[in-house]
Amino acid sequence: MVMSFFRRSEGGFEAITAHTVSMLADARHSFDMASTALLSGATHASVAEDVYTTDDRINQTEQELRRELVVHVSVQGTDDIGAVLAYTLLIKKIERIGDQAKNMLDLADEGVDLGSESDTDELIALRRTISVMMGEAADILSDPTNEDEVAAYRQKADALRFSLETQIRECMHSEKPGSEVVPRAILYRYWKRIVANLAGVVISATEPIHREIDPDDLDD
Amino acid sequence: MTTTTESPEKRTMPTAVRSVLVFLLIYGFLVGVSLLESGIKVMGQDTQESLFQGVSNPIAGLFVGILGTVLVQSSSASTSVIVGLVGTGALGVDAAVPMIMGANIGTTVTNTLVSLGSMRQSEEFKRAFAAATVHDFFNVIAVSILLPVELITGWLSSAAEAISDELVGTAGSEWKSPIKRWVKEPVGWVQDIYEDIGLEMNALGTIMVITGLVVVLLALTFITKNMKQLVADRVERSLNAVLGSGGGTVAMLLGLIITVSVQSSSITTSIMIPLAAAGVVSLRNIYPVTLGANVGTTITALLAALAASKPEALTVGLVHTIFNVTGILLLYPITRIREIPVRLAQGLAEIAVTRQALAVTYVVTVFLIVPLAGVAIFR
Repeated sequence: MVMSFFRRSEGGFEAITAHTVSMLADARHSFDMASTALLSGATHASVAEDVYTTDDRINQTEQELRRELVVHVSVQGTDDIGAVLAYTLLIKKIERIGDQAKNMLDLADEGVDLGSESDTDELIALRRTISVMMGEAADILSDPTNEDEVAAYRQKADALRFSLETQIRECMHSEKPGSEVVPRAILYRYWKRIVANLAGVVISATEPIHREIDPDDLDD
Repeated sequence: MTTTTESPEKRTMPTAVRSVLVFLLIYGFLVGVSLLESGIKVMGQDTQESLFQGVSNPIAGLFVGILGTVLVQSSSASTSVIVGLVGTGALGVDAAVPMIMGANIGTTVTNTLVSLGSMRQSEEFKRAFAAATVHDFFNVIAVSILLPVELITGWLSSAAEAISDELVGTAGSEWKSPIKRWVKEPVGWVQDIYEDIGLEMNALGTIMVITGLVVVLLALTFITKNMKQLVADRVERSLNAVLGSGGGTVAMLLGLIITVSVQSSSITTSIMIPLAAAGVVSLRNIYPVTLGANVGTTITALLAALAASKPEALTVGLVHTIFNVTGILLLYPITRIREIPVRLAQGLAEIAVTRQALAVTYVVTVFLIVPLAGVAIFR
């Protein structure tokens, strides 16, 4: 432990970022596993342990990251205070993604199985899009400087949220039986929250704090 | 007014450049110690004797050590100056030992002051104040035991002298330090400049001592600042590793390594205060870190001794190390004894949190009024 002082490895905010990216990877894993139980015919029992263990790890990582952020400010001073505040927010959002994955699994536990429905392919495609977005959010966390990538991500997240909101409204007004539309409405709702949290992660990472600048400086 | 999301890029000095700068600053620090020594030597014998007459009483010496360290907020600086003075022969080892012990107490003022910053939040303040004062209590208890033992038996100075004899030669002899040869030239240049403007004897000595003090303080300040920049990521990484799963000896070693790296126990102990306030580290886990810092900070006086021309300077530097190691051996291994400073700090924090003015009174009394009164009475 003491020898870690002499080792060459990531330190400072890079280490915190790497730890956060690993937390997001856990959240993605939980999401993928819970989706498997709902959409690919896997039983609740076969994935439950994995999802719950991963969620415990996510919660533990959240606590570790909070401590690391306090240590960072104590050691490095207030140089990174904007990023520290942003990370305090975004790790909470990642933790919520873990919780929402658990909620998805609870749907499967209630007997919901959307693995052989007429819209299964559509749902699987949506799930894949969200899962890929988690990977993209991790990439942006690691390198938040590519403004085009960030803007495209935010646009994609807004569009997806709007689409999911539309799906929820359609379910609300659907004349199909409740046993068919309610699970979908709940699932869309969870996914919408997950996408909102992912967008929040990216926004927090790339806009830790608004810096006021004099209009004269913009002319330069 | 427009807003933007861009953050200003940090301008950081390349590590290699900063490392070279630190080496230059260490050289400057050694030149400062040597200037101090040369300045005292230039003064007449009578002046030298009258300068240090007041600290011949060990209790007065102890309080001078506390006051001097509180004044410069750095035991590294005060002990280096003491070592430099011993190097001149004007200050004896016997008189320097209580001053070194005083420096150990005085250095705890910094983290206690840092803890006062949490005053607005009761619970945070209680944890922060206890974390700061556990260092005070440990050092006061160690001095209360080891100063009388030293005065009666001379054990600490004898042990340090024995090691010093082995390393650089017997007391009273002239030690041909290689470092001394490296710093001789710039000291000569400074002396020549002052002589050219007509200064001599006491005036020349005084201005050289003042220059030496300024150089030592500035060099140490910038060494600490730059070393902190160089090792901050490592400090952060190892703190996370140790706080996550370590304690006791591991934490003590970490305190030692961080302090040796940044050349300042105040930095190490002050880093721990916000962590204590936030509840990230418990008082019992902070305690060994501060003890490691106590030992780590002795490296600066040992470094200063390398620029001195008498073996006694190294003896005093070693006294500082042996004193702190002995303090740990006496007060840390046995749980019931180890708990004494912890309980005292917790008790004081309980009182301080209900009557916050008392916390301020404590700092002013322990670090200013008592030492000032002590010097006035015992000199």
